[in-house]
Amino acid sequence: MQFNEVRVFFTKTGMAKYISHLDLMRCMTRALRRAQIPLWYTEGYNPHLFMTFARPLPLGVESLCESMDIRLVGEMTFREIKTRLNDALPRDITVVSVAKPAHKPTEIAFADYEIQLYTDDPAALLQAMETRFAADTLPVLKKAKQGKRRVEKETDIKLNILTFALAQQDDGVTLTVRVTAGDQNNVSPALLLDALTANAPVAVKHTDILKRRVLLENGEAFC
Amino acid sequence: MRKEWEYLLDGVQKPARYTGGELGSAMKDKAQIKVRYAFCFPDSYEIGMSHLGMKILYGLVNERKDAWCERVFAPWVDMEEKMRANGVPLYALESGDPISEFDLIGFTLQYELSYSNVLNMLDLAGVPLRSRDRTALTPLVIGGGPCACNPEPLADFFDIFLPGEGEEVTNELIDLLIAHKEKGSTKLEFLRDAAKIEGVYVPAFYDVSYHTDGTLQAVTPKETAPTKVKKRVIADLDSVYFPKQFVVPFVDVVHDRAVAEVFRGCIRGCRFCQAGFIYRPIREKSSDTVNRQAKALCDSTGYDEISLCSLSTSDYSEVETLLPQLLSWAPDEKINVSLPSLRVDNFSESLMEELKKVRKSGLTFAPEAGTQRLRDAINKNVTEEEVLSTAAQAFRGGWTSVKLYFMMGLPTETLEDVAGIAELAQKVVNEFYHNPDKPKGKGVTVSVSVASFVPKPFTPFQWEPQDTMEQLAEKQKYLMENVHSGKIRVSWHQPHTSFLEGVFARGDRKLCDVLEEAWKRGCKFDGWDEFFRFDAWMQAFEACGVDPAFYANRRRDFSELLPWEHLDYGIRRAFLAEENRKAHESVTSPNCRQKCSACGAARLNGGHCDAIQ
Repeated sequence: MQFNEVRVFFTKTGMAKYISHLDLMRCMTRALRRAQIPLWYTEGYNPHLFMTFARPLPLGVESLCESMDIRLVGEMTFREIKTRLNDALPRDITVVSVAKPAHKPTEIAFADYEIQLYTDDPAALLQAMETRFAADTLPVLKKAKQGKRRVEKETDIKLNILTFALAQQDDGVTLTVRVTAGDQNNVSPALLLDALTANAPVAVKHTDILKRRVLLENGEAFC
Repeated sequence: MRKEWEYLLDGVQKPARYTGGELGSAMKDKAQIKVRYAFCFPDSYEIGMSHLGMKILYGLVNERKDAWCERVFAPWVDMEEKMRANGVPLYALESGDPISEFDLIGFTLQYELSYSNVLNMLDLAGVPLRSRDRTALTPLVIGGGPCACNPEPLADFFDIFLPGEGEEVTNELIDLLIAHKEKGSTKLEFLRDAAKIEGVYVPAFYDVSYHTDGTLQAVTPKETAPTKVKKRVIADLDSVYFPKQFVVPFVDVVHDRAVAEVFRGCIRGCRFCQAGFIYRPIREKSSDTVNRQAKALCDSTGYDEISLCSLSTSDYSEVETLLPQLLSWAPDEKINVSLPSLRVDNFSESLMEELKKVRKSGLTFAPEAGTQRLRDAINKNVTEEEVLSTAAQAFRGGWTSVKLYFMMGLPTETLEDVAGIAELAQKVVNEFYHNPDKPKGKGVTVSVSVASFVPKPFTPFQWEPQDTMEQLAEKQKYLMENVHSGKIRVSWHQPHTSFLEGVFARGDRKLCDVLEEAWKRGCKFDGWDEFFRFDAWMQAFEACGVDPAFYANRRRDFSELLPWEHLDYGIRRAFLAEENRKAHESVTSPNCRQKCSACGAARLNGGHCDAIQ
């Protein structure tokens, strides 16, 4: 069957950050069905909607740059798809654009994050994070699998951080950062924060993590 | 600005259960709202979000411009711990506001083992548990659902119970509350007027006295309360409200699909089955209505499955019209149609053909008892030949697994009946191997699920003693000794939970103290094996000087006044007593379509019952 591959860019913000990847897939499937977009179904014994996401977003992270690819089997303009999907989506998930895919998801190399860390002593936290980042290495325990065993192994992520900026706020610290992303060298925001706040003398009460952009090796936007 | 509790979600399991914001959830402007209604399901989100009654009443109240109904579930233990540690009170999912600020806190009472969660939720909300300690007009704590047919073990905690169906009385109660809020009435003034509405039971308006042996002496109405509270019945299901939209959850819930209700009541009259009596009389929707409502729900939710909902769905008189109607559009839209509740005896060849067009899942039969004598005693009018021929038909149709539901501890049951369960399962296994066209290389699985029988109010067995836990354990052991095939898998309920269910099902107001004491000792989520604490419950009974066996294992005399007899469910006491007598003689009764037994339920519906042609 003939189909056109279409990429849908969307944001997942507010309370939607608590929707797991698996739940998001189910939510999108239903939204696509409600929107009555003519889509390609797999042709197996149990046909289901074809849908693939560039990268799964960790639970608890907000994002302005999510994308999923779907396969269109009829005529429908990108504008129409966007309008219909937005009418069919829950509150905190919004389609920002629909386009023909230009890059493969495997070409994603970097991601930009903006992270708020809330604490009672912003100055002390800022100082501790700066000290960690200023050292030659930034070691962190990364969860890995050896065969079936779960192990923790120490990794240095210093070279995975490309840009780094800290700013002190009344109630905490803002971290703006570009890290490697993608299938090979992905640095999750949780891992990054583990590394930067190790040894911090004050507790981080909670964090807001926002994924702003995903980029290619050459620094251009993934689209 | 974020609410403080939002950050609690960072470390809990499945946080999307606590966020709200699902598609179809109702958001309103508080300034326009006169009554705020917190609809509470006293179990986890996954269980509560599967419940059709909540979806109906949620949609019904939110049709109003002056009222806002929001959903509340029991937070899972990890979330509750965080909420208590951070001083976050129980909040409603839509607005995130504490439910202590609401006007109505409504609990749906689906099963007895959720009662401890009711108290836990009230406490987590910061609302006083006992009705008498809530002196202001609002919040009012109200309850409905099947357990409202004997709400006495909860009587001290609730202001109002609503026995019967809720579609009309909910709106009447909200109208009355708006009027009283505007007048600035006291709670007593409001309750006096509320008790005049048909189907409203105000437990505080009844004095209860006991004989020295602990049995009930009298239930005496006072204030404006009627001697008997009649349950509410919806006369016309084609015109009654049914939601066009469901709240579509993010997380995977137990029943995550569109649901179309086809009828209420049941024609069968199985003597153990409470649902078969308390939802009478029979009222059907037309197949056009069901089809239209099913289509509307699939369109608005995006669900890929629609399930028909009723007791014994194949008894629907228009089932052979409805299925082709549904199948004319559902498969084209990649929607599966499922029929959860089919009976063995009227599982026709043509129905089987229609079913083949939809997805093939397991087949489930409920013979309920192992021998014909006992099936006759409980009025489960299914013969062994019917079970076996239907199983054979299913095996010819390609099915390889069959589930059989049984009960243990039924009145008049002997060890011979217990062994009969294993024998019937073995015959079903043999039936598979008799099929000449059986699929090659595939074995058969016969899953036998054995529940412990719990006598319930408003059934012919309401006077019967429940088997003790020791008796049940012995019967389970005997059953296992009689299973000789690896193709048969047996599972059963814990007799401890059935015992507690039995106590509360037929309990009286003396159990209110026990319930509160058990909750104080940490009991909650009693329906979950991992949380059920039988020892704590037994200590609570002991501390209150209440003997649980008095409620569970005692045979009641026909002359005894039962704790729920000031509630009128239409069913005549004499009819139930006659059915009880017939059970002990293993004599069956015809189903309601064959011959009306004059159970009395139609009286509450202007004499009308769809089973009487």
